[in-house]
Amino acid sequence: MLNHEITKEEIMAIYPKVAAIVSEALGRDLAEIKPDASLVADLGAESIDFLDIVFRLERAFKVKIPRGKLVEDARGTLSESEFESGGVVSEAGLARLKAFLSEVPEERLKPPLNVSEIPRLLTTETFCKIVIRQQRAAAARST
Amino acid sequence: MDLHFRAFSFVDRITSLEDKVRIRGRYAIPAGLSAFSSSLAAEAVGQLAAWAAMAACDFRRRPIAGIGGAVEYLSSPQPGQELELSADLDGMDDDAVAYDGMASVDGVPVVRLKNFVGPMVPVEEYDDPERVRDRFALLCRAGAAPGGFAGLPSFQVICAQDSSAQSRCATVQVPASADFFADHFPRRPVFPGSLLMQVNLGLAAEWAAQLPSPTAGGRWQLRAVYDVKLRAFIRPGDFLQTELRLLDQSDQSAMVLVETRNAKRLVGGARVEFVPEE
Repeated sequence: MLNHEITKEEIMAIYPKVAAIVSEALGRDLAEIKPDASLVADLGAESIDFLDIVFRLERAFKVKIPRGKLVEDARGTLSESEFESGGVVSEAGLARLKAFLSEVPEERLKPPLNVSEIPRLLTTETFCKIVIRQQRAAAARST
Repeated sequence: MDLHFRAFSFVDRITSLEDKVRIRGRYAIPAGLSAFSSSLAAEAVGQLAAWAAMAACDFRRRPIAGIGGAVEYLSSPQPGQELELSADLDGMDDDAVAYDGMASVDGVPVVRLKNFVGPMVPVEEYDDPERVRDRFALLCRAGAAPGGFAGLPSFQVICAQDSSAQSRCATVQVPASADFFADHFPRRPVFPGSLLMQVNLGLAAEWAAQLPSPTAGGRWQLRAVYDVKLRAFIRPGDFLQTELRLLDQSDQSAMVLVETRNAKRLVGGARVEFVPEE
């Protein structure tokens, strides 16, 4: 399920709560949290902070967010070998990422991009989308 | 003497483990100790949760200290008492385990842990998986002989002279060697996060004692710690800088931010709440 299927309205409906969680987890003022700010590059998040944010989101939105699934989701229908080679995201993989992480400014999605660097791209809006996808998946399971 | 499972182990019996997620246990605080801190009681709860998490993944991975939503300090444990321990896992995979837990004495809560998350790491990098498995079996059957913990060394803590009404700094010298490193962990000695908290809570309590009294003749007492986060391992011999900042103070509470750095890198932080002593 690609990002463009998630509407801006859906994102904005949960953004204040997600931003508050990011703010609390990173110990930053809410005013510093912007939708397109990179959590790593702009807000200094480390891996433990991602874990913190994920668990806070799970509790706040009553969803389960499988750790490590982001890269898998980002890959979509591409096989691992189509998505990356030797740890570097392929051209097809990059195109897929640009669609999947449409909230990430284009200049951050330039080759060569290592798979290990994908978490550095994540923004507060990315986490909104993760929550919405999990909410949709949960709703689909319950129907 | 083999210090493994003695020098820093605070579960000596697992009394039940239901559905891999609800674990109960006990720890007899050695009567000969001069003191046993609430931070160590919290450590005992974390260790109990770790046993459940390790058993659930067949001892491939183990949690380490990471994130704590809140620790409530409800009464003071004393040497000679027996801690009743409980932990409930709320989600676990190969990356992390989330849990809540509590330590009590004779049904009276001592510490309550809420929204804790421990990153999972390979057991074999920290310990011998077979010894860990055997220990778990022992704890579940007869239980371990109590009394292994012989206390802690004193830590060298120096408060800076230039403290102000709003902030205070101190340096903490982690010992280069200590018995607890043989147990935490045998293959990778790490300064326990609970000991960092114990040292930092001591600094915060000293400072709180100097804050204006909330009531005439009254004193501040530790109520809870929030948003605990341990960001990096602290090694034997590391030299830490801790900064305390008064975030907020009213008649009802005083909130202190405690942050510890190791060579300028933030390695741990928490908010500490004091309330007027009852």
